[in-house]
Amino acid sequence: MLKVENLTKIYPNGTVALRDVSFEVQDGEFLAVIGLSGSGKSTLMRCINRLIEPTSGRIIWNGVDLTALSPAEMRKMRRQIGMIFQQFNLVKRSSVMTNVLSGRLGYVSPYQSLFNYFSPADHTRALQNLERLGLRDKAYVRADSLSGGQQQRVGIARALMQEPKLILADEPVASLDPVLSHSILKYLEQMNKEDGITVLCSLHFLDLVHRYATRAIGLKEGRLVFQGLPQEIDDAQFKKIFGQEAERVTIL
Amino acid sequence: MDTLAPSRSSSAFLASGLSLLLPGAGQFYLRQRERGIGIGASALVMAYLIQWALSNFKMGALAFWLWSVFALFWVWNVWDAYRLARQQSTYNRLGFLLALIIIYLIGWQVTDINLDRLVTRFQDVQVVFRALLYPDLFTQEGGTWRPSENFGDIIGKMVERPAPDWLVRLGIVQSNTRVPTPIFGKMAETIAIGLMATFLAVLFAVPLSFFAAHNIMARVPGGIVIYYAMRTFLNIVRSVDTLIWGIIIVVWVGLGSFAGTLALTIHSIAALGKLYSEEVEHIDPGPIEAITATGANLLQVIRYAVIPQIVPPFLAYTLLRWDINMRMATVVGFVAGGGIGFYVVETIRKGAYEQYAAALWVVAIVIILVDMISAQWRARILAGEEKVSSEAPRPFYTSLRALLWLALGLALFALCWQLAEMDLRKLFEPAPTFTKVVRDFVAIDLSPDVLDTVLKQMLITLFQALMATTLGGLAAVPFSFLAARNLMGGNAFGLAVYYVIRSLFNILRSIEALLYVAIFVFWVGIGPFAGMLALAITTFALIGKLFSEAVENIDPGPLEAIQATGATGLQTIVYAVLPQIIPPFISYLIYQWDINVRIATIVGFAGGGGVGLLLNTYFSMLQYHKAGTVVAMIVIVVALMDFASARIRERLV
Repeated sequence: MLKVENLTKIYPNGTVALRDVSFEVQDGEFLAVIGLSGSGKSTLMRCINRLIEPTSGRIIWNGVDLTALSPAEMRKMRRQIGMIFQQFNLVKRSSVMTNVLSGRLGYVSPYQSLFNYFSPADHTRALQNLERLGLRDKAYVRADSLSGGQQQRVGIARALMQEPKLILADEPVASLDPVLSHSILKYLEQMNKEDGITVLCSLHFLDLVHRYATRAIGLKEGRLVFQGLPQEIDDAQFKKIFGQEAERVTIL
Repeated sequence: MDTLAPSRSSSAFLASGLSLLLPGAGQFYLRQRERGIGIGASALVMAYLIQWALSNFKMGALAFWLWSVFALFWVWNVWDAYRLARQQSTYNRLGFLLALIIIYLIGWQVTDINLDRLVTRFQDVQVVFRALLYPDLFTQEGGTWRPSENFGDIIGKMVERPAPDWLVRLGIVQSNTRVPTPIFGKMAETIAIGLMATFLAVLFAVPLSFFAAHNIMARVPGGIVIYYAMRTFLNIVRSVDTLIWGIIIVVWVGLGSFAGTLALTIHSIAALGKLYSEEVEHIDPGPIEAITATGANLLQVIRYAVIPQIVPPFLAYTLLRWDINMRMATVVGFVAGGGIGFYVVETIRKGAYEQYAAALWVVAIVIILVDMISAQWRARILAGEEKVSSEAPRPFYTSLRALLWLALGLALFALCWQLAEMDLRKLFEPAPTFTKVVRDFVAIDLSPDVLDTVLKQMLITLFQALMATTLGGLAAVPFSFLAARNLMGGNAFGLAVYYVIRSLFNILRSIEALLYVAIFVFWVGIGPFAGMLALAITTFALIGKLFSEAVENIDPGPLEAIQATGATGLQTIVYAVLPQIIPPFISYLIYQWDINVRIATIVGFAGGGGVGLLLNTYFSMLQYHKAGTVVAMIVIVVALMDFASARIRERLV
């Protein structure tokens, strides 16, 4: 179980990205995080695995306070938390295989990994994950030769290599053609349902929230303004999260 | 324009009156501050230069003309203030033109340009040109051609030598037998110097570049201080030319290839360090975030997120530097000894022009090859080879070919080490006078007469660069059209012209200005004119190539559009071609001037006049504190030029 308590993040330039945010996520949930650009979704995700250091507040993951861990302990903990990015964040010039294998870096011996050595078991695991995402035949091509949707699937395969219990997906479909959104989110749904991985996923389109999320939270200017089931987001709630000028748009 | 509207005519008289008293004052009063300061500063600089030229050089009747044009500039400035106040259009170009006339008149005189000498003394130089047609590389002996003795000196030869110990021990040959052994010539030595210096420079520049990268150092406590210190250090080292480093290094380790290699290495470390650090600053932070999120430690993040991003651009810059180093290796011998540069100095001293010509041809061939190889590899690296295979690649150490390459590389390294006379012990056993020399060198002499002398030579150097850029650039314009494929590719004759001019550019470009100086010293005599001509030749070739590429890159769209209006050929050129090529042309010229200033500081080493001659003199007279003044002046001027040229080009493009 993930518990976020009174989380606040103030950047050095004075921007308040998160104000006193508290919520809980049960194991196996698919939690959608919604809100406008700049509402603090990305900061929230990065505070959970401490890519960004929170200013105050606590994050409890299975009884462990993540904010109190030393950098070395946090690195160990990150192995359980996979992350997927809006811009995929693959190393473009490396092969798909190397990108996927890099998901194991938290587990393998640091010295062996410096020479690009991964055990045969890891190689098998990487191929299995690529197989699962329909990219088995692309294993040895360069990452930047793939399309955007394929690159994001490589990103998911990399996260799966960590054998994560939690996946943080930061706008995983925002850089993709809208028609590809479902293909990516279906994979995330599969991980969530079949492997029991908890998913935190920030999304722009309400349609997608309704279709994939089991629960949702809404952020506005760093504050938690909504918490509940996706169906509960009616017009009033919608305006509360996205502002008076916002209009609903649908895709597909 | 925000002038004072109500009393327009009275303010016009006030402004022009102010400008009459002090150039630019009226413009400044009219709140055209930048313009006012610009005009004032230009007038001051021109007045100083005229005064300086008159008191240092024989100007004759030119004095009258200089002051007349200056007076015209003054009048223009008054008129400009008047028109500005009345909000009428101004004639900036007129003022600019008057200033240019003054600058070029002085430049012409100061760099001692005497075009008639090119004609009257042509008799003398014919022997050199004849030698260029018949270089001493091959001799005819009984009807067959074979490499001459000189060929062996430059490139290398096989001689019978007693078999080396290891061949005997391995039982390959009997002891006391003689085996053919290669003796490498001066050009092989030059290649070794260039390779070795590049290799060593990479070794040092890679770690240093991380300390000069803002994005890395901003994460480390106290890193920003190190960042600024490192950047400043690299910039200073970089602004001192390789040859000047050569002079200094010779004092440390003595004459020879080792000194040349070190000089090249030092300059390359700074140049590469800067380029590398900029590349580190431009890496994509995304992968770093992603690898960190997997739980990787810092080393793993660097290995998997940073290195894959920087290796290709680093390699490309290294290849570019290798190309530059090979060129510099051909001239470093002028001061440091070793390599073909040293050989050229010898041939000039002996008046052995056939040998000199042979050296030039060999340099041209090698540098053209290096240029091609470097460009081709760079293109391949930056394009990024696409690997399309469904099989896992085998680790490189299991492939026989990779092992073979590795062995070859090691052998090449060992050979270069030997040819470049690498002797690290020398670094720790400097000449006994070395510490004193360094102390003298750092305590620069700032007495007025030394400063005056240094300043004089520095100004000559700047004018040399200016005149060379102008003359070389002007000469390049017509040729660049002939070397543009899109204009000449239409028929067989045009294509032939294209290839001839392109080859001319490539051959002339591959030889450093310093190697040309000898020809012009012989032709027009020692002095700034000879140095200027040598610079003009390389400028002609470099600018010609860049110009012709600019012409090749013009957008055909506007051409089509202007032609579609029914315009004539000339109209098409004026309205569609010129607007597209003039901005890049000017930008290239300014860039070239910047480069020429650097080279002009060293043409003096071969008799080309300017600040290099002074530096050489001070060094040979062991007046190191005065030499220090020269180097400090060069660092300042080169840094200013760098800054100014970058600013001007930014505004143009």
